[in-house]
Amino acid sequence: MILSLIVFLPLAGALLVLLAGGSGDRPDREGLVKTLALVVSLVTFAATLVLWWMFDPASADYQFVERHAWMPTFGIQYLVGVDGISLFLVVLTGFLTPLALLSSWDSVHKSVKMFAFFMLALESSMLGVFVAIDLFLFYMFWDFVLIPMYFLIGIWGYERRVYAAVKFILYTMAGSVLMLVAIIGLAWAYDGMTGAPSFNLLDLQKLTLSWPMERWFFLAFALAFLIKVPLFPFHTWLPDAHVEAPTAGSVILAGVMLKMGTYGLVRFAFPLFPSAAMHYAPWIAAFAVIGIIYGALVAMVQPDLKKLVAYSSVSHLGFVVLGLCAMNAQGLQGSIYQMLNHGVSTGGLFMIVGMLSDRRHTRLISEFGGLKAVMPRFVAAFLLVTLSSIALPGMNGFVGEFLILLGGFLWSPKFAAIAASGVILSAVYMLWMFQRVNYGDVTNSKNTSLPDLLPREWALMVPTIAMAIVMGIVPNVFLRPMEPSVKKTIERVTGRSFATTPTAPGFAAVPAPGSRLLAPGQTQTGGSQQPAAGSEQPTAKAARQPRVNSRQPTTKANSNE
Amino acid sequence: MSNYAALIPIAIVALSAIAAMLAEAFRQRDERMPIYGLGLIGLGGAAIASGVLWNSDAKSLEVIRSDNFALFINIVLCIVGALTMLMSNEVIEREQIPPGEYYALTLFAICGMMMMAAATDLLVIFVALEVLSLAVYVLTGIRRQSAAGAEAAFKYFLLGGFSSAFFLYGVAFAYALSGSTRIDEIGTALSAQATGTPSTIALLAVGLMAVGFAFKVSAVPFHMWTPDAYEGAPTIVTAFMSTGVKAAAFAAFARVFLSPLEPLQAHWIPMLSVIAAVTMIVGTVVGVVQTNVKRMLAYSSIAHAGYLLLGIISANRDGKASLLFYLLAYAVTNIGALGIVALLGTPQEQHDELRDFAGLWRSRPALAGLMTIFLLSLGGIPPTAGFIGKWYIFSAAVQEGHYWLAIIGVLTSVISVFFYLRIVVMMYMTEGTEIPRPRVPAAAMAGLALAVVAVFYLGILPTRVIDLALNSISTIF
Repeated sequence: MILSLIVFLPLAGALLVLLAGGSGDRPDREGLVKTLALVVSLVTFAATLVLWWMFDPASADYQFVERHAWMPTFGIQYLVGVDGISLFLVVLTGFLTPLALLSSWDSVHKSVKMFAFFMLALESSMLGVFVAIDLFLFYMFWDFVLIPMYFLIGIWGYERRVYAAVKFILYTMAGSVLMLVAIIGLAWAYDGMTGAPSFNLLDLQKLTLSWPMERWFFLAFALAFLIKVPLFPFHTWLPDAHVEAPTAGSVILAGVMLKMGTYGLVRFAFPLFPSAAMHYAPWIAAFAVIGIIYGALVAMVQPDLKKLVAYSSVSHLGFVVLGLCAMNAQGLQGSIYQMLNHGVSTGGLFMIVGMLSDRRHTRLISEFGGLKAVMPRFVAAFLLVTLSSIALPGMNGFVGEFLILLGGFLWSPKFAAIAASGVILSAVYMLWMFQRVNYGDVTNSKNTSLPDLLPREWALMVPTIAMAIVMGIVPNVFLRPMEPSVKKTIERVTGRSFATTPTAPGFAAVPAPGSRLLAPGQTQTGGSQQPAAGSEQPTAKAARQPRVNSRQPTTKANSNE
Repeated sequence: MSNYAALIPIAIVALSAIAAMLAEAFRQRDERMPIYGLGLIGLGGAAIASGVLWNSDAKSLEVIRSDNFALFINIVLCIVGALTMLMSNEVIEREQIPPGEYYALTLFAICGMMMMAAATDLLVIFVALEVLSLAVYVLTGIRRQSAAGAEAAFKYFLLGGFSSAFFLYGVAFAYALSGSTRIDEIGTALSAQATGTPSTIALLAVGLMAVGFAFKVSAVPFHMWTPDAYEGAPTIVTAFMSTGVKAAAFAAFARVFLSPLEPLQAHWIPMLSVIAAVTMIVGTVVGVVQTNVKRMLAYSSIAHAGYLLLGIISANRDGKASLLFYLLAYAVTNIGALGIVALLGTPQEQHDELRDFAGLWRSRPALAGLMTIFLLSLGGIPPTAGFIGKWYIFSAAVQEGHYWLAIIGVLTSVISVFFYLRIVVMMYMTEGTEIPRPRVPAAAMAGLALAVVAVFYLGILPTRVIDLALNSISTIF
């Protein structure tokens, strides 16, 4: 019940907001509507925390599973559940939505009722994406997410909002629809095997597909997810959407929606098509690495703060994809952790840019300078968020990027080496931007009397920064519940791969250095050596053994060609 | 009596049409008379009769067969008719269309449609086609003072005449082949010679009938009349004919091609596949550049004909059921969308240009919201009827291995979303000029509310209707 409650609570709140807002545009009810929306999103967040509290960290299976027949003729169910991979994305969504609402609290005055409605509808559909296990259900949420975001950008955005909104929806939808065809194809393939179609992810994982089918279906899935991530060269929608979106839209877009892409890869594309995934992983990783460097270089020369943060997302998400492609314990855990980190720190950066833009109605770096003298508290918060984004040790970003680079190195040293230079580049563009905005003399007289952090902005910055620090110091709190599901996913994906893929040598090398290197993060809490050590050996074993077993289905699949 | 049971729904609608004509005769000049009430009663009666006849598989006069397939279409047509009538009253008064003639013609057209869906004889299909076509030609040009209406009606009439001739020619070849115009006897004759290459006569029969049907469902390259007729006709008539005629024509199309002509599948499936692909592409690509909303929705209706053709091409259980489901989903959605366009017109102006929608959100938030839902459903975005319809029909195509058609289908859907969104952009994201917005009457609002409820019902809980559709096709084919 709790999952359905979490998913549909915001939607119910959205309808309530619509009723409470009265008919037409009622400025007198603005406060009521905003407060109501905030309360609903906070209650949802509380519910996600309860979910975390009740979550059994030792289990690799889906928990809180709800199953209802929906279209039994086609094996379509209302099937939801969370495991260690999706749990924190649900919590992240719950965490960021109230902050996003709060970040646009004073800047949105046009039809606040509809704004709150779309924000809450968006939250519902994002949560739905993260908990759906039935592919049909997943696709419905996945596709619907675009609609509220489209309106948020198109109505409440900046100058070129219409262009950005249409580009956003068409670009991401064009990728998704091919996935729909692949989903249908999978269901019928299952029908061919068992006599009844199914859209259940767990059923579909049992399928043995012929290689051409597996390859095309994987490419269709991967395209949908990689556009959403967005992976270079599919990223061109992102800067437009980010720059034109209102602050709340940017926070959600960067904080949660981009993760839908990487989540989709690790939840659906890789486990459903392991051979194809292993086959294409080097290619995807190559583009991810290009994206890391390209995003960083382009971010460096941006005159616009928001665009800079947008391109930094391209770079950071490249790390996440690289970790996923490595498909070992460090890489995958690091990727999932980095999804959360990126949500917190980039969400925070967009809130900061929003504050500057609220004050000055411009986001050009050249318009600022010397803010440290004018708004010291704001700059302190800005600094902490910046450091979190550039992965300073002790902050959240460090743990994620470190694990990803570690996993990447075990898999393919050359990719990891290039990616590592992206870490340096990110420090360059972020710190340079920070310096230009905050240090030096106040060059623009409009900046001399800017107010420092308002109470509302304190409420935005404190949770964000607290989260960044907590995630940097005690990563184990988050990493441990992920571990069983991460291991299971790796077993699933690599256990059946072709022996010739580059994973093989990497895996042989995993156990010893892996468990040692995971340890620093984990010595923080007492007896955590065990899961750390335990995380490696069985994985390696599992990876080796089933590969032998799986020769048969694989070769069979090949002979079908 | 039981010999005529299959005719009951058709007869009820015909009676209400006659009643509407009589009412018009007794109407004083300038007297307001709720004639649409008669129509609603007739359609309600026909729907109930169809419900009662469900599963009875009644045959009358050996040429009308009320199997579940026909009854499902009957119910779709009753919904189409009822929604049209609910939204018509104020609109036709504004356009100064004589209500008696309008309602009578609409009801007679529905009679023809029901007959077309139930006919099991090619000649009866032809007669039904003419009954509905004549009524719709007149409805297209019913605004006698409008030059565009007259032009549209004339074009529609001429091209419709051609298509009827093609169809008749095809019927003649089928008769030459089998010595009968009965669908079942043609089927027997064809399957007898199914082995080996079919005769030229058989191929000609298939090809010519396909052309005739393709005209009626406005498939490319036989779609030329559609944009003009849809734009020139009163908008409410456009709503009616884009959904009703399509439902009836596709029902007959499916009945003819999927049972007697089934032995020739290997020959007509490639042909229809090409037509479907071109129809989907042309409908959406040309739709992108339209600036008139009615014309845009006309091209969208062409594209939807392409999607519907996939149901026939798939020719499997799910293909047939998805065809029925899609017709229902398209009917409630498109009547809703065009109904709103109709309701926004004023006596002076139709207000059907894209720019006329600017700022609608400010002046009529409810209408803008409903229009958005209908457009999203046309674009196939969950959780609406349009999404389930598309998913189901593409699913049937993929099941038969028609991956390319499904891929063309989903990609053209994305392109179509682009032009549906142009209307949304106008409504929500463009500042409006001061356009007088008429009051929306309660009956029309009720119609729109019913349509939107149906859109969400079919989009979220489609199981019941899909099962009904599956049940409908099991008795035939």
